[in-house]
Amino acid sequence: MIPPRTLRRWALLLIALVGSLSLGLWGLATERVEPVSVLMPAPFTDATAELVSAFNRSHPRIALSVTRGPLETEAVSDLAISSLLLGDSPYDLLLMDVSWTPKYAAAGWLEPLDHWLGPDALADLAPGAELGNAFGGRLWRFPLLADMGLLYWRTDLMEAPPRTPAELVAISRRLQREGRVPWGYVWQGKQYEGLSCVVLEVLRGFGGHWLMENQPQLDSPAAVAAAGWLRDLVRQGITPEAVANMGEPEALQLFQAGDAAFMRNWPYAWAELNKPDSPLRGKVAFTTMVSEEGQPHAATQGSWGLSLLAGSEHKAAAVEVLRFLTSAEAQKQLNLRWGYTPTRLSVFEDPELLAANPVLADLQQALAAAVLRPLSPVYAQLSDLLYRDVNTVITGDQPAPSAMRELQSNSERLLRSSGGEG
Amino acid sequence: MRWRLWLLMAPALALLLAIFAAPLLHYLWLSTQAQSVLTGLKPQPIGAQQWLRLWNDGRFWQDTWQTLRFSAASVSLEMLLGLAVALLLNQPLRGRGLLRTVSLLPWALPTTVIALGWRWIFNDPYGPISRLLAGLELPAIPFLSNPALTWMATVGADTWKTTPFVALLLLAGLQTIPADLYEAAALEGATPWQTLRRITLPLLTPYLLIALLFRLAQALGVFDLIQVLTGGGPAGSTESLALYAYLNAMRFLDFGYSATLLLGSFAILLILCGTAALMWRWILR
Repeated sequence: MIPPRTLRRWALLLIALVGSLSLGLWGLATERVEPVSVLMPAPFTDATAELVSAFNRSHPRIALSVTRGPLETEAVSDLAISSLLLGDSPYDLLLMDVSWTPKYAAAGWLEPLDHWLGPDALADLAPGAELGNAFGGRLWRFPLLADMGLLYWRTDLMEAPPRTPAELVAISRRLQREGRVPWGYVWQGKQYEGLSCVVLEVLRGFGGHWLMENQPQLDSPAAVAAAGWLRDLVRQGITPEAVANMGEPEALQLFQAGDAAFMRNWPYAWAELNKPDSPLRGKVAFTTMVSEEGQPHAATQGSWGLSLLAGSEHKAAAVEVLRFLTSAEAQKQLNLRWGYTPTRLSVFEDPELLAANPVLADLQQALAAAVLRPLSPVYAQLSDLLYRDVNTVITGDQPAPSAMRELQSNSERLLRSSGGEG
Repeated sequence: MRWRLWLLMAPALALLLAIFAAPLLHYLWLSTQAQSVLTGLKPQPIGAQQWLRLWNDGRFWQDTWQTLRFSAASVSLEMLLGLAVALLLNQPLRGRGLLRTVSLLPWALPTTVIALGWRWIFNDPYGPISRLLAGLELPAIPFLSNPALTWMATVGADTWKTTPFVALLLLAGLQTIPADLYEAAALEGATPWQTLRRITLPLLTPYLLIALLFRLAQALGVFDLIQVLTGGGPAGSTESLALYAYLNAMRFLDFGYSATLLLGSFAILLILCGTAALMWRWILR
């Protein structure tokens, strides 16, 4: 007969053995599933939800999860930067706005994608979509969705859209005089990034440049004329004074209410304007920005793309996710279901999509007119100088020539103190 | 015996050092470094350059002026209105409990929500104010797009939100004043004005000072209301020091200059409070 004490000891030993064994086995099992976490702005989280579950079904060894970030672009950046500054970011991939890329790359937060994706990675991209992914000779981002500035116009008020700044002014004034619309043209004039996008388009349309060979060109006659034109729109009552605090939603609200003949906005507005309850359904079309004779009709590029974080411990799995989410099949679904503009040429030419989405070819054309905001680690400062200064022109606080001179010297000083990198 | 005193104070002192002194010293060190996106976020010593840059930065001085203007206007309005509301809520009214609760609501709501609300109220041409004016066939007022008006709009929104806070503090103070003082004053035939000046205000002074201190400290660091309502615009007319420091840290990734900016604002705050304290003493003498 075994004494009860010995029995208890054996039992304890057995329990410990079984316990540690199962823990070990569980550990082995979970080690095989690699977690990959992506941070995206809220709307993209919703749009990619189906793709994410499809990925998790077809890839049992990777557990993909998407963190729902804030709605607003800069708030997402704040969240990402806070986590990166703490040194131990919980994310492997980041859905990045085009204007962030050089800054994040210079801060050392991103992993170059060149050797992960191979030399032909960008070969399938539509013209315009390849811009803004590489910086300093390396690829930092792969574009998932394209975005570019469009000029929306009312098909019920005119036969054809204006192609020059003077035409836009003339049509607006005629329509306003006839009492058919209270305002001519609405755009983003608030002191924020959206104004820089507007200015870049007008600047190119007047034959100017923001930077040329890393030198600011903001006091050129073309730049002064561009800023002066924006101010004149307000002065002549074509654009409401409220434009000085107008972002994308406010401009869309005014245009959608039927109170303006033209609007500058991104492709998302197309879907909003054509919703079943929209008063403008079927009464709008879009084209690229107006420009002076012989100058380009420019569309500021504003794409979103996936970047791999340097601190990720699951890089191979994360790259697999990146490939999947940016694949032609995924982009096709995002366009069919959510109306997002693709970046791959093969998706733009897909017959099924062309049939379902009649404006796809127009979007491709606008994308081909894409212009890039300066690629620089100090872009945020450059843009802050520009939108702050042009905003003073729009409110009438400063005449365009002196404001642009000041902007030029401030931009020069900034680039000089940053060692002229860019 | 003296060492025992220090020993007993040690935990509290250590906590104070950790919370106040350590970050300040770290910022002081950071302000002598170039740590930005251009240095790959690695600190590089550059001596007093950041401070020179601060001194020559017109935007810093403009934001200082704008922050002071905002604080002075909103805090004085809040103190006056807060006192009026507190005096009213201290009266034996019917439904006083309900009134007190309702008047606290603006304070209980998050600032961001309130700022979004005001953004809509001021919306031109669809906000309620614009509609009201249009109904009266008056021209719209560009509250958020005219630099001369927008800072007043931010003061208005801030006053609406924080007057209840001041009122609450002062109401607590009013309830500590013994009722027999008022009875005595009434017996002596004092007018309400005399009662207010000779009894209420002197006895309320500590509470007024506390409310003033809290509100000034908060107003001088104003960030969220302005970030949501105007983003610092139009024409930079509402940008506060805190907003500028935030831009430098989070958008520009220029931590050295952001630290210098914060210390610069801190220094200005210290000078202001020091001057106020000296003047206060001089008045009381």
